[in-house]
Amino acid sequence: MIGMDFHTIEELLQLCQEKEMTIGELMIETEKQKTGKSSDEIFDLMKERLLKMKEAVESGIADPSPAPSGISGGDAYLMQKYKEKGNYMTGSLMVDAMKYAFATSETNARMGVIVATPTAGSAGVLPGCIFALKENTDIPFDRLVMGLFTASAIGYVIANRAFISGAAGGCQAEIGSATAMASAAIVEMRGGTPEQAANAGAMALKSLLGLVCDPVAGLVEVPCIKRNVIGTSIAFASADMALAGVESRIPFDEVIGAMYDIGKSMPRTLKETALGGLAATPTGEEMRKKILGKPCLKRA
Amino acid sequence: MVFNSCFDIIGPIMVGPSSSHTAGVVSVGKFGHDLFGGVPDSVKITFFDSFAETYQGHGTDKAILGGLLGLGTDNPGIKHAFELARQEKMNVSFQLEENCPYYEHPNTLLVNMENRFKQIEIGGVSLGGGVSKIFLINGQPADILLNSKIDIGSIRQRYLQDRR
Repeated sequence: MIGMDFHTIEELLQLCQEKEMTIGELMIETEKQKTGKSSDEIFDLMKERLLKMKEAVESGIADPSPAPSGISGGDAYLMQKYKEKGNYMTGSLMVDAMKYAFATSETNARMGVIVATPTAGSAGVLPGCIFALKENTDIPFDRLVMGLFTASAIGYVIANRAFISGAAGGCQAEIGSATAMASAAIVEMRGGTPEQAANAGAMALKSLLGLVCDPVAGLVEVPCIKRNVIGTSIAFASADMALAGVESRIPFDEVIGAMYDIGKSMPRTLKETALGGLAATPTGEEMRKKILGKPCLKRA
Repeated sequence: MVFNSCFDIIGPIMVGPSSSHTAGVVSVGKFGHDLFGGVPDSVKITFFDSFAETYQGHGTDKAILGGLLGLGTDNPGIKHAFELARQEKMNVSFQLEENCPYYEHPNTLLVNMENRFKQIEIGGVSLGGGVSKIFLINGQPADILLNSKIDIGSIRQRYLQDRR
């Protein structure tokens, strides 16, 4: 461990304990050391990203039109209407999270501007959770920015020890990582300890292990967008479990190791080649032909 | 370590839909643009593996052209890269291949850039989350991470025997 840098969740937690910092605060310190930038500069760069996320959410909700492909779009709008009726089951927080996740991912599918968290395909989970917390609690804006630092520290370990792209590790590497990052961030934003945040992240990632990347027609739409939406529910459930004191029986670092092994042994057809899984269903193939005017390039 | 900053994870700010198949490829193209020293007259692009299978859905073709025209990852002009390339009279051709012979990764591409005076070929890999690396310049192995500070002058000197 050089200076303040960390390579595992274990090291991260150890540093948090030594320095008496949250995960988010420690990420800022690490960034300071690596770049020589001041805390304020680093904070403002993250704030800029949160504001971009907000724009993506707003434009997603305002635009009920379908994506150019015709296979996604308009679902954020439907969630908004459903919310207004007030007859939902899971609660205002969950419904808002779904709505904002839809909004971000639909903006992404339209080639609008989004913030990758950690990827574009999984860009809906974190803003979904963050803006739902903003809407439903009295959390200050700066604390939401701190949540992004918490999330980035978790993603930083996962990205360097495993992968965060569907092509390299399947959807577990994208939605799995994003959901783990979001759940750890929720815990810290709610005042939980770094250990609780790590437990939430581990539980979230565990529940998405093995998820394959099988986008219809190779588009980041079906099933990607709805997996972002469902990711928010898993993130909140994992955060609530951790805040209740529930621990992951498998340590987070080992869960990340398992994710890596599973991703390595996944067949190529299920790693963002659009050759297997949902992409290869009769309906998936039909959509591909309609959108791209061609069958698969090569059958693996 | 490939990911060196919290902003490699929360970021880039980018035009969708894919960080690896869109933003990461814009960065490879932008590097090509900077190394070439402007917009080439003619570009030949080879997509391998996952890029070859899904480039249309991810706008990977628009992303590489946008980068070669000098656009950044968050530039909405990427959406209209084919039109922009026509306006700049950049000649464009694409080729699709199964596996990259130079670098083992599903998200790899080769870009050949030409004008009357020079020809430069680069190989790029998109590592996820918008972070990419250049692994080949004019046949020589390279290892240039595009999320760090890049000194184009010294790269030219090292790989292109640029005597200017």
